Amino acid sequence: MTDINDLLSIDRPLPPERSFSRPFWEASREKRLLVQYDKVAGAYQFYPRPTSIYTGRRDNLEWREVSGRGVLFSHTIVRRARPPFRDHEPYVLAMVTLDEGVNVMSNIIHCAEEDLRPGLRVKPYWHPLPDGRHLLLFQPDT
Amino acid sequence: MALSDMAIVGYAETKIVLRSEVDVWELGAEILDSLLERTGFEKGEINGLILSSSSTGAGNIFWSQTTADQLAVELDFCQTVDIGGSSPVGTVARAAAAIDAGLCDTVLCLFADTAVAENNGRPRSYGAEWTTPYGYLGAPAAFGMLSRYYDDRFGLDARALGKLAVAQRAHAVLNENACEKLRKPITVDDYVHSRMINDPIRLLDCVMPCDGASGILITRRKTAEQRGLTRCAVPVGYGERTNVGAASAIVDPTLTGHREASERAFAQAGLRPAQIGSFHPYDDFIIAIMMQLEMLGFCAHGQGAAFIRETDFSFSGDLPLNTGGGQISAGQCGLAGGGTNLVEAVRQLFGEGGSRQVSDTAHALVTGIGGIPYGRNWNSSTVLILSSNA
Repeated sequence: MTDINDLLSIDRPLPPERSFSRPFWEASREKRLLVQYDKVAGAYQFYPRPTSIYTGRRDNLEWREVSGRGVLFSHTIVRRARPPFRDHEPYVLAMVTLDEGVNVMSNIIHCAEEDLRPGLRVKPYWHPLPDGRHLLLFQPDT
Repeated sequence: MALSDMAIVGYAETKIVLRSEVDVWELGAEILDSLLERTGFEKGEINGLILSSSSTGAGNIFWSQTTADQLAVELDFCQTVDIGGSSPVGTVARAAAAIDAGLCDTVLCLFADTAVAENNGRPRSYGAEWTTPYGYLGAPAAFGMLSRYYDDRFGLDARALGKLAVAQRAHAVLNENACEKLRKPITVDDYVHSRMINDPIRLLDCVMPCDGASGILITRRKTAEQRGLTRCAVPVGYGERTNVGAASAIVDPTLTGHREASERAFAQAGLRPAQIGSFHPYDDFIIAIMMQLEMLGFCAHGQGAAFIRETDFSFSGDLPLNTGGGQISAGQCGLAGGGTNLVEAVRQLFGEGGSRQVSDTAHALVTGIGGIPYGRNWNSSTVLILSSNA
């Protein structure tokens, strides 16, 4: 079986921050996961938005810290990529459903191809970025 | 809006090429020239111009105006439609609405893109922040995850999908405007064994980026009749849905806006799927065709493979599918690619399909797909039903 790469050695494109996503990135410096929560709808949302996806109202939103644990929703094995990911294929791109009920796109690392299945329990792996922030990756929660 | 008071009186298309040797505006001029020749309209009679999105023009904040300037058309109505691959189909509805509202009389809908030769796109989306750092490179990865989800839920039948790929390729062989590189027959085995790009998306699931242009001329049906243009295509039903599942944190990616869009289009047309004579779905990936068969009501959700196995999709079969080869086998002209499916539907209703002419020219169905949101299916779904002027 071919090695599924964890991409921990490559220089990834640095994500920009937007005025409304800054709390997420600030918390990532301390490896803490903040997710937006609509107090009126009683539901979380991801990725961070400038307003509630449920009600369209801004004051309903607050940031809540969550564990980052969840399950695999779906995945694909990338076999053709562009730089800087080229020549590091194959790697896993996935959607993870956090226990709080949101889907998050990320990479699954430290995982064999045959273990990738819907419902696989995963937990966060915070990958350091050169500017002090961390990128949220996932690994099997064993 | 009385959609059916309108008539598409002409269509035009350039050869689709791997990389254009001429400027996108020259391709546009080729379409204009061809439409004037075929319809007998004078340039001065065209007073509306609606463009599809174009990667070539994406960086140009005056895209529709500067294109109008290059073609020297004086206008009462002018705009670019920016719903991605849904844009060409979307121009038909917007042209009809503008004519119906008395804003203009005769509209050139122009779909031109040389995205390979000259891509000026500067996309702004969730991507740079939430997906690019993970090595997500757009559509093939999105459709890879979507296909895996479909497989987990319903089971994916690669040979059924291959049957769609083979049918479209056979049609491209008969289409002189299709990209030459793709005009070679393939088999289901070729499809199944083509190399994996983003599991389970294979090479033969994907469109090839190309350059090219197409267009239609649309006016009032009454005007068409007065001029003796009896051979025309009448838009009888249209539906458009953008951002399905926008207010949910978890969305089933196999459910698309084509369900809502087609319910509206079929109701407006007073037709059912069984009455469709030829089917021209937007095809950026083979599985998108199967998903649309389900969402448009040809079969139930999750039953696409069974429907495919029992249906003949050749131009002479039960449900002729993308009789020009679709974008997957004719080549995708950037953001103008949806024009390839649209123009082929019009050509079939005109009875000008030549060696691939379908027998039932009463009604054709064209769709659009545009944009890929975060972890869902696609941003915009459009459905257009055309009838011949019977």
